[in-house]
Amino acid sequence: MGDSSSSASYIRMVHHLIEKCICFNLSKEECIEALEKHANINPVVTSTVWKELEKENKEFFETYNKDRVERNIEAETMQRIQKMLSDAAATAVQLAGELAW
Amino acid sequence: MLAVSPAMCPDVAEDRARVVAGDAVGMEVVGDMEFDFSVDDIDFGDFFLRLEDGDVLPDLEAVDPAEIFTDFEAIATSGGEEFQEDQEVPTVELLAPVEDVGVVDVVVGEEHREFVAEAAGEEEKVGCNQDDEAEEANADVGGDAAVVAEAKSSSTTSSSQEAESRHKSSSKSSQGKKKAKVDWTPELHRRFVQAVEQLGIDKAVPSRILEIMGIDSLTRHNIASHLQKYRSHRKHMLAREAETASWTQRRQIYAAGGGAVAKRPESNVWAVPTIGFPPPPPLPPPPSPMQHFARPLHVWGHPTVDSPRVPMWPPRHLVPRCPALPLVPPPPPSDPAFWHHPYMRGQAHMPTQGTPCMAMPMPAARFPAPPVPGVVPCPMYRPLTPPALVSKNQQDAQLQLQAQPGQAHMPTQGTPCMAMPMPAARFPAPPVPGVVPCPMYRPLTPPALVSKNQQDAQLQLQAQPSSESIDAAIGDVLTKPWLPLPLGLKPPSLDSVMGELQRQGVANVPPAGG
Repeated sequence: MGDSSSSASYIRMVHHLIEKCICFNLSKEECIEALEKHANINPVVTSTVWKELEKENKEFFETYNKDRVERNIEAETMQRIQKMLSDAAATAVQLAGELAW
Repeated sequence: MLAVSPAMCPDVAEDRARVVAGDAVGMEVVGDMEFDFSVDDIDFGDFFLRLEDGDVLPDLEAVDPAEIFTDFEAIATSGGEEFQEDQEVPTVELLAPVEDVGVVDVVVGEEHREFVAEAAGEEEKVGCNQDDEAEEANADVGGDAAVVAEAKSSSTTSSSQEAESRHKSSSKSSQGKKKAKVDWTPELHRRFVQAVEQLGIDKAVPSRILEIMGIDSLTRHNIASHLQKYRSHRKHMLAREAETASWTQRRQIYAAGGGAVAKRPESNVWAVPTIGFPPPPPLPPPPSPMQHFARPLHVWGHPTVDSPRVPMWPPRHLVPRCPALPLVPPPPPSDPAFWHHPYMRGQAHMPTQGTPCMAMPMPAARFPAPPVPGVVPCPMYRPLTPPALVSKNQQDAQLQLQAQPGQAHMPTQGTPCMAMPMPAARFPAPPVPGVVPCPMYRPLTPPALVSKNQQDAQLQLQAQPSSESIDAAIGDVLTKPWLPLPLGLKPPSLDSVMGELQRQGVANVPPAGG
């Protein structure tokens, strides 16, 4: 049994999985959770691999994290917009109803 | 009222009447002024020294005697209208000493005649002292305060002449129709408002205000006119506030009643603007409108909660702050815009509020982070496409965009979303410059990997991944380990990973019994 090779391949697999999570814009925590839930990966392992990946690809992760923050803000903002619009729509409908009389 | 001799020039009476009209309660305070001196006692030098407050009376710098003479003519041609206005102040003040100096009325009468005469023929020297001219020439006296001071000094022809020249100069620099040219700076105005509030808006009397403010260079008349404007503006704004409050109330009622309607599918929301509500422009971030509806309108001159964000007054200060004013150009000091400005705080102070004037200072600081100043009414769409990879599609583990479960990214990037300015500059080396113009494009690929094109897989970012899709993706990886890495990140060093794991107390071998 090649422990090292199986370890290596395991690590590679975890790496792959993490990359997939990044494609989903997951945070580190979310990724750990997902991997554990869906792939039975030890959170410690995920965490370690993530950290190492971050070390190796600093720039990427910097940008990635920044993007996430912005995206959150944006998502929240968009939610608010949607809420506002729906409120406005409701009001408009009401007004229209009133005016009809 | 002052016991003014009827022998006085009718213009004076008219001026007085005007002044009285302007401030009904004001006349009585004229007596407050000190007129207990005669011309001889006055050291004109003192006046000029005292009146050198550059900030309050900035207008008259070098008063050239030659200038004055030309001004006189100009005024004469204009029919002496300005005279009347300008002289309002000094003549009012002149009235006071009537009791004390019996000759004043004569002087006053003379004054007016003189003005006209001087304007016509440059006879300013009638009884005038040369030194007055000289003083005028070199003094830094501003506007009408000087005039008033001189008037106070129980006018003689000389002082009246200086007054005139002051006016002329000030009128030359200003529009000519103003009294004492007072620069109502925000600080000054703030003190004014404080004083008014202290006294009570209804009981605020210019003389009292003047006392409270304690600024020498302001005349009661300045205060009076400013108070008048303030009151009128306040009334206007309060009326509008009431209207808005009732509107907001009604709206809330409707909203409460229309709760069920709110659950419409997302796509309909974007159709809402057509219903009749003015659509918010794609610029301002949404939180502000929400806040704004709840916030009472700001009364001009009164401090508000948001004062740190944008000082509202005077409006010219706003100009540098909103370079990209979409709706209204930086308002000139014309009155309506001027007075309305303090209200226009907040970004989404939109047509919804019914306000005609839309100065929208847009503090980008409102949002700490986003480089995207505008919020896009677009469903979470973010293509993550290294353009080099677009064409190929080998992987089954293809992540679909939630909003657009389709193939091509490029077409989807053309969705009619409002500009989502994605600074491609975020990535120092954007993968393919040609793609950048597409507003929706945001390459997630790290620059180092751009060129590499290791993967043929299509990459799409999913803004709100569902658990199922994640599960599917993960499952894919587990079952097909030979698939290339989606992102192609540099793999971690095995040793460091193993070392770290051992430190954590984990045996790496794929855990048995998974």
